[in-house]
Amino acid sequence: MATLQDPLELSAPATSRGTLAHMRATLRRNWLHVLLLPLLALWASPLVWIVVTSLKTRVEVFDPNAGFLPAIAQWSNYPAAMAVAPFGTYLVNSVLVTGGILICELVTITLAAYAFARLSFPGKNILFTLFLLQIMFPIYATFLTNFVTVRELGILNSLPALIVPFVASGYGTFMLRQAFRQVPTELADAARLDGCGHLGILWHVYLPLVKPTLVAFSIIAVVTHWNDYMWPLLVTNSESVRTLPIGLGLLAKSDSGADWTRLMAATVVVVSPLLLFFVIFQRRFVDSFMHAGLK
Amino acid sequence: MSVNSTFSHISRRGVLVGGAAAAVAGLSGGRAFASDKVKLQFMYPVGVSGDINRLVTAMISQFNAAHEKIEVEAIYAGSYDNTEQKVITALGVGDPPATWLPINSALQTFLGLDALADITAKAKADDIYQDFLPGFLETCISDGKLYGLPFQPSTPVLYLNKDALKAAGITKAPVTWTELLDVAKALTIRENGELKRWGLTIGGGWHDWIFECYCRQNALVPWTKDKVLFDKPEAVDALEFWVKMVQAGVMPPASTWEGSANDFMAGRTAMLYHSTGSLTNLRKSSPFEVDVAFMPKNKTFGACQGGGPIMIARKQTDAQIEASWTFARWMTSTQVQSQWSRDTGYLAVRKSAWETPEMKAYLEKVPQARVALEQAAYAGAFLQVPGYHKVREYLKSALDRTLAGSVKPDVALKEAADNSNREIQRLLRRRS
Repeated sequence: MATLQDPLELSAPATSRGTLAHMRATLRRNWLHVLLLPLLALWASPLVWIVVTSLKTRVEVFDPNAGFLPAIAQWSNYPAAMAVAPFGTYLVNSVLVTGGILICELVTITLAAYAFARLSFPGKNILFTLFLLQIMFPIYATFLTNFVTVRELGILNSLPALIVPFVASGYGTFMLRQAFRQVPTELADAARLDGCGHLGILWHVYLPLVKPTLVAFSIIAVVTHWNDYMWPLLVTNSESVRTLPIGLGLLAKSDSGADWTRLMAATVVVVSPLLLFFVIFQRRFVDSFMHAGLK
Repeated sequence: MSVNSTFSHISRRGVLVGGAAAAVAGLSGGRAFASDKVKLQFMYPVGVSGDINRLVTAMISQFNAAHEKIEVEAIYAGSYDNTEQKVITALGVGDPPATWLPINSALQTFLGLDALADITAKAKADDIYQDFLPGFLETCISDGKLYGLPFQPSTPVLYLNKDALKAAGITKAPVTWTELLDVAKALTIRENGELKRWGLTIGGGWHDWIFECYCRQNALVPWTKDKVLFDKPEAVDALEFWVKMVQAGVMPPASTWEGSANDFMAGRTAMLYHSTGSLTNLRKSSPFEVDVAFMPKNKTFGACQGGGPIMIARKQTDAQIEASWTFARWMTSTQVQSQWSRDTGYLAVRKSAWETPEMKAYLEKVPQARVALEQAAYAGAFLQVPGYHKVREYLKSALDRTLAGSVKPDVALKEAADNSNREIQRLLRRRS
């Protein structure tokens, strides 16, 4: 930090030494901010652009002579974007589908990971390899078989069709199995002596200790499935069971260039729930990653 | 996998309403046939702007209100590619939708899947062959048989920034390739060697479509039903002209479809090859006056069509095919087409639609819309070969690499033609 402070020091008149010293102290305490503020600006710039563009007129978006901010905020872009599709229904569906997938996944990966980490049974290694293989298949490769399965279950064009193919996760199982293996067996043995069964051990010993991993996996799962586009498009037909990305697609996927102002207005609507969710639980997320890092 | 569903049906509507298909699908028959209405599905893409969804939905409710015995369900299916995937997936499990709207290039793909109902006889008994613009109808014909009704055709046109032309003292749009190059030179602005405005941009991503137009302007249709002819001298000559424009510094060697439209609106390119489907968007979003012109000619004027027809599934009962026909016929009727064309910028497919009073008033107000119609007289179908997705990628890669200067035009096109023909042969062998 010396290079940053020296010029200040040299150019300062003697009388303001006190304030300078104060500034120096502040800088020393908060030097990380100097580094992080530009990064913050970089990270936030697309979001700012989205919001600003959502309030412009169509001409303003590309007119180099127009300023960065809209001359008059066009709030009407929002109702105009919302009128393209029933976004309210889409929002509810997105929440139900993403939430449903997350809950199912957490249950299945916890149980599977426990089995792979702590039980021994015949074929365990082969089975685990198969789980890992599942991670390697791109999702598109399994679309047709999944489609056939969903159709035979008779749930095409319904919300369960959007959830069922994703109730298990090879990736999550792998992630959680690694975390479980970090937990000392002595803790589990102690719990067993106290009379806990498998589920009891899982609930009282393992899960509290791997919370950071669970949170990390949840974030990944939510973001992935919140943004799913192709699968919902494939298995749903009615607007009553479709999700937000399909609504966005209506504005973005066009021959004629995207309809930027309305697309950005709709984007604001689509990303705000996730953003809000993250802001509210920010401390918890960050904490859990810190813990995960320490391990 | 004969598991009975234990999941409650959340959707109120049943899916896959095709008659024979419904039995296979294991839907409770009573629900699908509760009324004596014929139920049809119509899968459509959104190609132009967000409002298409609402327009189509409104058209469908109008149709349903007017037809007691038929109920059509409109299903938005993403882009053209997404729609094709969705339909092919449904075909794969034997439950195709009754009707759908693919891009016209997909004709051979669907014929290869034996998916299309032959509607030649129905069309001949009707006024289809008389009233439809022949260039549009041709996009649905293979071996003399008709497999769909054109619904939303488009062609590339040349968009001009009228203010920029005026500032450069140019009074009329370029008519020949030579003029195009001259005008592009005059419109390109460089300050101290730094580029401020391109003279011309060819919308990337679909530049293979525009390239076919250039081939047709050289009097070459660069494909037949079972092979491509990219290596013909006419095609090489067209690409050499593109290279010349890039080397003259008036045209960027690469662009994207949406990016090029954005560049035009922002004044970073003075002329632009883009779809007629973009007319409304470009007109409404540009801070200057937009003019539209024919794509300049070389040996002749030439264009080829994007956009799509309504196709009807073969694998359904006669009653359903009849109902599908009624629907396709209604969607392409004079009044509906006139309205649709004015709302979207797509070209109306019927001669009579262009003669309606509403259309005449519209052309009075937006004379640019007429250009595309007149150019359509020179337009044919676009790359109707099996496996056109892959063929397009081969061609686009050849164009990109040539414009980037890494390979000579004739070598690149020869390679693209060889790769494409090998792929087409592979598909044809698998089919027979």
